[in-house]
Amino acid sequence: MNAPHVRRAGVTGIGVVAPNGTSTDAFWKATQEGMSVLDRVTREGCEHLPLRVAGEVRSFDPSAAVEERFLVQTDRFTHFAMAAADLALADARLGQADADSAPFSLGVVTAAGSGGGEFGQRELQRLWGKGSRFVGPYQSIAWFYAASTGQISIRRGFKGPCSVVAADEAGGLDALAHAARAVGRGTDAIVAGSTEAPLAPYSVVCQLGYEELSTVEDPARAYRPFTDGACGFVPAEGGAMLVVEEENRARERGVQVRATIAGHAATFTGASRWELSREGLAQAIRGALDEAGCAPEEIDVVFADALGVPEADRAEALAIADALGTHGRRVPVTAPKTGTGRGYCAAPVLDTAAAVLAMEHGLIPPTPNVFDICHDLDLVTVRARPAELRTALVLSRGLMGSNSALVLRHSAIE
Amino acid sequence: MSAQITVEELAELMKKAAGVTVAPQDLQQQYDSAFDSLGIDSLGLLGIVGELENRHGTPMPPDAERCKTPRQFLDLVNNTLMAGA
Repeated sequence: MNAPHVRRAGVTGIGVVAPNGTSTDAFWKATQEGMSVLDRVTREGCEHLPLRVAGEVRSFDPSAAVEERFLVQTDRFTHFAMAAADLALADARLGQADADSAPFSLGVVTAAGSGGGEFGQRELQRLWGKGSRFVGPYQSIAWFYAASTGQISIRRGFKGPCSVVAADEAGGLDALAHAARAVGRGTDAIVAGSTEAPLAPYSVVCQLGYEELSTVEDPARAYRPFTDGACGFVPAEGGAMLVVEEENRARERGVQVRATIAGHAATFTGASRWELSREGLAQAIRGALDEAGCAPEEIDVVFADALGVPEADRAEALAIADALGTHGRRVPVTAPKTGTGRGYCAAPVLDTAAAVLAMEHGLIPPTPNVFDICHDLDLVTVRARPAELRTALVLSRGLMGSNSALVLRHSAIE
Repeated sequence: MSAQITVEELAELMKKAAGVTVAPQDLQQQYDSAFDSLGIDSLGLLGIVGELENRHGTPMPPDAERCKTPRQFLDLVNNTLMAGA
């Protein structure tokens, strides 16, 4: 693996715009403290809908983060993406001069599960309320899944490989793996990740059809995976973008590689067939370990999918045991997303950011609001647990049936 | 609604439809600059044309959205409005 011609992809920058923090530092502080920011839904036009609790990003001012001409042509999910990409690039010390001098060496990959619902709803209301002449031309680009990839590449002048994974939750991990493959094929760096904005009336109504959605009123009880009180998941907005960069190139720039994207695999077992996700997720874990050349015992922490549906939780606990053997009962497992909600494709990207930060700090963040585990798992609850973390496994499953696993290796401090 | 589009109205439309803020007096000085360099892309210009059509209740010629500069655009649009008045 260490032969000079092998191009390995590592994380060199993290940008977070999440319900519990609109910077990476704020996100990590809230995450490691186990703070829950789940709260009543207050987004305009959503207050009367049966979804009572969500993870809203309340401290984000788009006009402070992004130029107005990009704001008018994009949805909230792309506002988050542009802001998170800026934070990630600054964190990786990749400036505009890097893009201007070698635009084809930089690309963008995002994953999106819900697209630009708020923008789309506004324009469709104009269509049916006033007529087609009142629909703005940016409707043609703003609500599509690919909007964030396109706008980041235009705004930052990146002309390297650009793509979008239009997917369910697991697509967030698939996007990171796709970025790592693009780096392996020759691109210097890819800005990769996902942000979502599913808390607009139209988008919320679409989600009400999911039987896995929690409509519980009490924020402290609405999302409690792996417990007897599991009653579904709470959705969230926001997300994260990472800079995925060729490791030698990063070192040449004098930038630290914070974690290596070592292995990934994905499987598909069908929408809402949670019992079958046991086998699918276990197979994804085995594939990711295999690609990483990693033995099950080397996994130091698992960031769980943690759907919060009893059948799905059971399948995940069993999948971890199936794939990791006896180590599966000993390895610490965590699900910090119970404090922020599940931001669809963005959820596993935030977990990946948390995993990198956890390895750097030697600290496993806890699973907020969750006590009394009813599965054979060592779930980290209440407070963060100190541990030497060299390898992390991030898991994700989607409502449409995808299962994905990603192995991250902590890079030795140089 | 006046039958003629002023530079003030164009500046206002640029802000509303394309998010580009240019003071009318600055726009006057950039009369022959390309819309591109002002930060208006083709969809932005299309949005400006659509807004004008709705306000004035009259269709603009297809060439309106192909104009390269504010001067070309105002000349074409105002000629169209004059002819229709």
